Amino acid sequence: MSLTGLYYGKPVELVKLFNTLKSRGYKVIGPKVVEGVIRLEELGSYEELASNVSDIQEPGRYRLVDGGKYFRHGPDSPKKILYPPRLTLFRITKDYRIEVPEVEVPKIAFFALKPCDLAAIQVMDRVQGCLGDAYYNLVRRNLVIVVENCVEPGGTCFCATMGTGPIASKGFDVAFTRIRDDLVVFEAGSSLGVELLDELELEPLDEKLYREFIDVVRRAYSKARPIELPDKLPELLELTLDSDMYKEIAEKCLGCANCNMVCPTCFCFDVIDIPYYDGSAERVRVWDGCFSYNYAAVAGGHYRPDLWARYRHWFLHKFSYWVKQFGTYGCVGCGRCITWCPVGIDVRDTLRRAIKEAEKHG
Amino acid sequence: MVKLEYKLIPKIAVVEDVREETPNVRTFYLRVDDLGQEPLPGQFNELYIPGGGEVPISVSDIVEVNGRKLIAHTVRFIGSVTWMFSRLEKGSRIGIRGPYGKGWPIERLRGRDILLVAGGLGLAPLRPVIREVERNRGLYGRLIILYGARTPRDLLYRYEYHRYEDIPNTELLVTVDKATSSWRGHVGVVTKLIPLVELDVENTIALVCGPEIMMRFTVKELKKRGFKDNQIYLSLERRMKCGVGLCGHCQMGPYFVCKHGPVFPYWFIKKYFWVDQI
Repeated sequence: MSLTGLYYGKPVELVKLFNTLKSRGYKVIGPKVVEGVIRLEELGSYEELASNVSDIQEPGRYRLVDGGKYFRHGPDSPKKILYPPRLTLFRITKDYRIEVPEVEVPKIAFFALKPCDLAAIQVMDRVQGCLGDAYYNLVRRNLVIVVENCVEPGGTCFCATMGTGPIASKGFDVAFTRIRDDLVVFEAGSSLGVELLDELELEPLDEKLYREFIDVVRRAYSKARPIELPDKLPELLELTLDSDMYKEIAEKCLGCANCNMVCPTCFCFDVIDIPYYDGSAERVRVWDGCFSYNYAAVAGGHYRPDLWARYRHWFLHKFSYWVKQFGTYGCVGCGRCITWCPVGIDVRDTLRRAIKEAEKHG
Repeated sequence: MVKLEYKLIPKIAVVEDVREETPNVRTFYLRVDDLGQEPLPGQFNELYIPGGGEVPISVSDIVEVNGRKLIAHTVRFIGSVTWMFSRLEKGSRIGIRGPYGKGWPIERLRGRDILLVAGGLGLAPLRPVIREVERNRGLYGRLIILYGARTPRDLLYRYEYHRYEDIPNTELLVTVDKATSSWRGHVGVVTKLIPLVELDVENTIALVCGPEIMMRFTVKELKKRGFKDNQIYLSLERRMKCGVGLCGHCQMGPYFVCKHGPVFPYWFIKKYFWVDQI
């Protein structure tokens, strides 16, 4: 037994863990290189897991290069699996009969998910738990989460600011950390996790290795560039609702809604009708984002016609309104909105500026 | 395989009657067999036209015909979905779900004077309040209705104004922005009527519904007359796509207008109400 709850083993134990999940009938989903991008896709075998690649992430920039040890999350987040971008709600026939389609609920295991994405699932749990999305809750019930702790946070990461990473602390079944090329540290976070680790050849961490582990963790934290958030940030931000700051920042914004789509917690949706020639129609739920023009258009006009107002709404929703609605921030610090913003608007800059401005008023 | 239970699946209603209100506004009387709870004044339903889409529409009346209750919705043909309503006739079918949202504070109105300020289509969600006062006249104080529309042709429910005036202790003042040659009433925006009426402000609750700009000016006028923040209620309009606080579209600050509203006490939303494009 390990007093720290931490165990170590060779990297081959990861393969065993992967195969155990497969043999238990899970559809294993993890980072995979697809067309030069790390995507979250089903992995047929452990070999399909992305390796020997590293990524460069900067505001408005993403490159995958061969070689190197570390890569971060790509544009896909678990939202794609748990909250599908398109979902048929029902069909209605020409004679007004409503047919609700039957769906298959997959048994899913996430493998090598980043801590920020685990945190995003926990945020979604609050949101969808409150809102009661039927599909989400069914998939979530059987979900297994194997987290890979982040030893090397990337150029747009700020998980340490949001308290979600780079090391996962709760909510996973198994978490692992590659502290050396030939050594992986394992931790179980649930009874299923204990069961899974039980099948591997692991040793409890001794004091020396524990120190090494802690050093790795410390280094990772400092690389995740924490910004200090004031205690009453949600309230503080509301003191400067009509700040010109948003106008200046959003001057570059294109309104493309990329940030909405890659955000692992953005939950807004639209429902569209697809009419068919036979007079029937299908009603489909699709992702929507507060940056799209149509989002706030009403028959009588538009209540957020200017881009700066949409930027402000998005920002305040993540860092202020969300806390009031669901008791947690809507941001997990994954930095996707920074990397995938075509003009490189950096939410960390906005956050720093907003805090400074709000503190002047507070 | 599982059949998912979504909150967004409508029931099918039958259009029992259609009434032309203005050239582009009609009221549809719908028969719904099992809508569930009866809509309260100020609540709305999501109406669905297959192949078109859904729109949130306030309940403008509940009438009883041959022992069956019909729910009235007054619709202006202005957007891509509402335009499709122009094709509905008696016997047409339509999807409906609801009722949704928080309505007018009926309990708080008991024993007090009621001031209704409506602009344009904003009279529709207030009409059930007028009906309630008519039905239980003894429970409420004076009823003052201030109503404004663009032109005389745009006035809703003109055929029943005499009925409002027949309610004891009730006053109705109507104004239009642009008069025609035959118009003999007030001319100007509805806020201009506020200084004209006699009010026991301390004992009055104001219920306001209309375009956003009209509601802002109305609040200003009411404040001038001495109304306190907690005496004013507003019904807001946003894009209420799902109606149950799921889809995010109707957020105003931290509030989902469809769920926490659409009727809000003014003090509750004051912080956001005056902020441009919040």
